[in-house]
Amino acid sequence: MTIENYRSHYTFGMDFGTSDFKFGPITCGENPRIVNNRGYFPDKSSLVYRAFETAADVVVGDEVPLYLQSSEDLTSRLVYPMKNGMIDKDDDSAWKVVGALCQFGLDAFPVTSNNGFRGYNIVASLSAVSPRYMYERLLELFREGNASGKVRAVTVVPQPFAVAIGHGVTTCVVIESGHGNSQVCPISKYPIRSAQVALNRGGGDANAVTSEILKDAGYGDLAGEESLVRRVKESIGLVPGDLDAAITEAKRTPRKFRAKHKVPGTRVEIDLDKDSWTRFLIGEYVFNPNHEIFESYFGRGMPRPRDVKMGETTFRGMLDFGDAIVASVERCPVELQPMLYREILLSGGNFSWRVPESMDGVAVDAQTKVKSLLRMKGIRNVSVKMTTSPQFSVWHGCIIYGFAVPDDYEWDWQRLEGWMRISGQSAD
Amino acid sequence: MASLPIEQRLLHYFLAMGAQQSQDSSNPGTLSFLMGNERVLVSILTAVDAIERNRVIGTFLRVSSLRSAGIQLYVAVPRLLGATFDAQIFRSSGIGLLLFDDRRIEETIKPQSVQSPTVMQPTLTNATPDPTVLSELASLKSMYDEMERNMNRMMAEFKLLRENAPTHTLHIQSPEPVRFESTHRAETPFQSTMIGEGALPSFFTNNPWLDVLSKRGKTEAAPFAG
Repeated sequence: MTIENYRSHYTFGMDFGTSDFKFGPITCGENPRIVNNRGYFPDKSSLVYRAFETAADVVVGDEVPLYLQSSEDLTSRLVYPMKNGMIDKDDDSAWKVVGALCQFGLDAFPVTSNNGFRGYNIVASLSAVSPRYMYERLLELFREGNASGKVRAVTVVPQPFAVAIGHGVTTCVVIESGHGNSQVCPISKYPIRSAQVALNRGGGDANAVTSEILKDAGYGDLAGEESLVRRVKESIGLVPGDLDAAITEAKRTPRKFRAKHKVPGTRVEIDLDKDSWTRFLIGEYVFNPNHEIFESYFGRGMPRPRDVKMGETTFRGMLDFGDAIVASVERCPVELQPMLYREILLSGGNFSWRVPESMDGVAVDAQTKVKSLLRMKGIRNVSVKMTTSPQFSVWHGCIIYGFAVPDDYEWDWQRLEGWMRISGQSAD
Repeated sequence: MASLPIEQRLLHYFLAMGAQQSQDSSNPGTLSFLMGNERVLVSILTAVDAIERNRVIGTFLRVSSLRSAGIQLYVAVPRLLGATFDAQIFRSSGIGLLLFDDRRIEETIKPQSVQSPTVMQPTLTNATPDPTVLSELASLKSMYDEMERNMNRMMAEFKLLRENAPTHTLHIQSPEPVRFESTHRAETPFQSTMIGEGALPSFFTNNPWLDVLSKRGKTEAAPFAG
């Protein structure tokens, strides 16, 4: 069997997103399997467990809901290991969940050993800001947990790099924005790690503004319900082309911009009425939290996104997306910079903003907003695109990477690239 | 409900089961429905019919003659007369029995479909599309669209070239063979459950990274990999 034949059947992608774990072999086709990126640690000291249950130390995958108990219990026993894209070195619980998810992923696709199978070539994808110890721990997990012989070789790629691969662009800037943070990563056939910029701002911050807006509109009792706030954000939140102009327009014709959200299956209807102009603050805050209007919210107790140092990376709190892209690109060689501006890729759920037809021009999509922020910095010749398959583009990139990278390209700790051989068996 | 004629009540009964009414004039005296891929025919034996032996025999003979693959047959009989029929006769002939009274309709014996001795070729009208085939078709369509776009672009570029250099002979190098065409796949039978043998997902189509990444470890320059 040739190595290309082997890889076209036994390449396996694993995308450790902040909330979901997407995994599966190349034979999945377009879409991998998805489970929540979380694990539950059952209380094994309880009498019921001792008497009847033989649960695993950590439960992951589709079975987690069956084990959930009281909501007080959840905070301590339900672990989302990649909530911020990073795991602490000593956070053993989180690493146990990651190990269990890897095993769960492999077990979900059983193979028979009599058809040439000698273990998967696994490409795992981590956040771009993952420090070196995360690579070490993850590779170690595969080495330790390969009793079944399902792993032949492993490699780890940063998520923005995988996005660029999945999207088929070799020179670009990828902006990945998730729930907790965002990363700007230039790519020129390799991820340019030294030019990465991380932001301590994501979809969760837009939820925080939405919550404040609900409080001001008299819905303080609902403002604490996280899932409801998120739905309200998705339903009424808009990104303004220009915030001042949008507010003026929305105040001039309040009926046209009226923000209403009916909670399905309940009698609850949220109506911002004369304050409907505030719907533009939700989107603006994601892209640029520096407008003076947000000061009143900070003054009333909404936490200002702060600069946070995690590992070796500083996550900038108040940097707008335009400044973040410019800062990142300007760390690259000058002759490369125009090419990077010409391909800016937006990836992640935090860039999915709708534009109601009647508000076209006042409300804009994420691509237009990023373009406009860059235009304000004097960068004009730009092309900003959304990834074609935002949910799965990282997994697509993992599969292409695993298929294309030569089998004899050994893991290199300097470059953080190549194959780490696990089982030592050749596919030739 | 009981005030409705039995034909109407049977219609409601089968609609509630998810069937669709079918206008079939080829079988007078029977109600016809479509349930999934199968046709359902119901013949009604009223209390008046049941006391006349010839009518009963006639009804059963007519129903039996309709039996074929893809058809489920029922005879609907008033509940009071149910005891006069031997269930074994229905079972052995594969005909279903519905008993009705003023309050309800009840399926007492399930009909059995005729098993075709050979593999049935699904007809265009009742074939359920296979999701794998559909996704394969979708990916083929996207590949075809991509190919058509490339072809149009190439034609435009070719036209431009010809316009710009009308007096020169163009030396066109034969194109590089497509990487995956030369790959001999599936020498041994593999277990690939989700995409067909020889198929690669559509996101592989025209992806320049395949070429870039295949050179990893061979061209060592990675000047920006901090």
